[in-house]
Amino acid sequence: MSATVIRPDRNFKYWIIAPAVFLLLAVGLFPLIYSLIVSFMRIDMMDTDTSFAGLYNYKQLFRDARLWQSLLHTLIITAIALPLELILGLAMAYLFLEKMPGRQIFVSLLVLPTIISPIVAGATWRLLLDNQYGPINQILGWFAGERVNLLWTISPTLVYPAIIFCEIWQWTPFMFLILLAALSNVDKSQTEAAEIDGASFWRSFRYIVLPAIWPVMAIAILIRGLDLFRIFDIIWALTMGGPGTMTETISVYTYNQGFKQFETSYTAAIAFLIIAMLTIIVTWAIRRMGLAK
Amino acid sequence: MSDLKISNLHKHYGSFHAVKGIDLEVPSGEFTVLVGPSGCGKSTLLRTIAGLEDSSSGTVEIAGRDVTWARPRDRDIAMVFQNYALYPYLNVKDNIAFGLRARKFAEAEVEKRVSRAAGMLGIGHLLKRFPRELSGGQRQRVAIGRAIVRDAVLYLFDEPLSNLDAQLRDDMRVEIKRLHQELGRTMVYVTHDQIEAMTLADRIVLLRDGLIEQQGSPLDLFERPKTRFVAGFLGSPKMNFIPATATETGVALNDGTRLDMPGRSGMKTGQAVVLGLRPQYIAMAGQSLAKGHARVPVTIELVQPTGSRVQATMPLGGASIIAELAAHDVSRPGERTEIDIDMTRAVIIDPKSEQVI
Repeated sequence: MSATVIRPDRNFKYWIIAPAVFLLLAVGLFPLIYSLIVSFMRIDMMDTDTSFAGLYNYKQLFRDARLWQSLLHTLIITAIALPLELILGLAMAYLFLEKMPGRQIFVSLLVLPTIISPIVAGATWRLLLDNQYGPINQILGWFAGERVNLLWTISPTLVYPAIIFCEIWQWTPFMFLILLAALSNVDKSQTEAAEIDGASFWRSFRYIVLPAIWPVMAIAILIRGLDLFRIFDIIWALTMGGPGTMTETISVYTYNQGFKQFETSYTAAIAFLIIAMLTIIVTWAIRRMGLAK
Repeated sequence: MSDLKISNLHKHYGSFHAVKGIDLEVPSGEFTVLVGPSGCGKSTLLRTIAGLEDSSSGTVEIAGRDVTWARPRDRDIAMVFQNYALYPYLNVKDNIAFGLRARKFAEAEVEKRVSRAAGMLGIGHLLKRFPRELSGGQRQRVAIGRAIVRDAVLYLFDEPLSNLDAQLRDDMRVEIKRLHQELGRTMVYVTHDQIEAMTLADRIVLLRDGLIEQQGSPLDLFERPKTRFVAGFLGSPKMNFIPATATETGVALNDGTRLDMPGRSGMKTGQAVVLGLRPQYIAMAGQSLAKGHARVPVTIELVQPTGSRVQATMPLGGASIIAELAAHDVSRPGERTEIDIDMTRAVIIDPKSEQVI
């Protein structure tokens, strides 16, 4: 009688993970492919034309001045807010590097803005900045000695400062926390040696601290850069892209096209434009920052 | 002239009193070693001299200038750290040149000094390497190079050899001694290793609990310790301490053994004392050339050969003592034999005050 040979099914493990993989594909890849398909059709609120329209929508992109303006708005906000968040975060991290009484409590308090949902933070700031009932105008009034009526979320000269201020308020702590962790890991005896060697703060920062914290700092810059590129909530809460389209960023514009104008196919094309741009930027940045090593 | 003068220096960390009033003067060109057990305040003292810690009270003068509140960079010092503290993102050359460039030396001068320092330390071929590509000994040489490349008034060493293995430590010790002889600079060196202290120092400053216990030349401390702590800290193997009673002519051990002491002084007859005997001043009977030795019968319990010498453990007067004997003299464990104790070198300690009488 021959012994029964048990042959374990080598493919069994694949069967086990199959449902999870299928689910991921269904919720991740399917919408992506579907929207790619949609971007080659002409679906809008009036018409559901599912025939192949070629590059019609993509050609439209290049003629759409509002799209390129919204991209410009996005870049302006990113270019101002990102360096400010970085510098402020780094300065705060330096401040909290020394052991001092109450350090833990202050760090926890400072991090609070980051854990608030951005839309809630935006709504809060909208109330704070309200021109009639907001405390900010009231406090400014105390200093000015007269009633102040600054239209923070309406006036063309004030909306960008207001948006960028809120953005910085909410996300500087993120930079602060990450940079604090990075700075705490810099070997203290190296900076002490540099100090004895006669190095200035900048020299010591440039040659010792910066190279040590760079990998972490680069990732923080990348994450915040991507977040800023997709900025939506704070603007939606404060100005909804206004006055007019003055603060309309790429995300706000995409949302308006998709869910206010119901230009479904065109919106899909915008989405793919954004994906393409971000892919190029991220790939370049990762290479440039030496993070791939 | 003294290059370093410390007056009544105190350092508190919160409620912890690390340095409790130290007065110290280091003459120009002297190699001073601060030594003591861990927690005695020696590293804190050095870091306060460097300006890496603020003093709680008291003053630090370097080259006749009060630098108590000066920044480290303005003190004209160079320092070697225990963990080397090399700059990891600069190569060896840039590491050594860092201080010169920070002080705006001309590049030609930097070049000249770096190659001279590298040559002295035998690391000329490593200049293009990065610290992570060096062995522990090479890193320590770079760290020393970084210090000696500058003309500082004072060179500080914070346990520079304690991260090295035993063989390298011996080599580097020789190297540091040689550097001091060549450069003739004032150096302050912290260590917990009494052999480093003995071999390197012109003067040892022995610290205990934030105070100077005794200072003087290595031999002075070795031969004439003022307290039981000093007697026990310096020397390897450690000094033997045996409880005894003073007699008319010397001391009597607890088992009745009487040891005569030539030149006995300071003790009251009948007083309880502690007899301190260095293992080096005990020999097998008949081997000792010293006059005034005492011959005692003993039973050898344990033998630890160290090469040409042997450390033999034996009971004497109710204590267990170690004698360092010539290797060929030693009997086997369990054997009864006689030893000669050089009583002229014996130390008598008051057990209450722990002071040497």
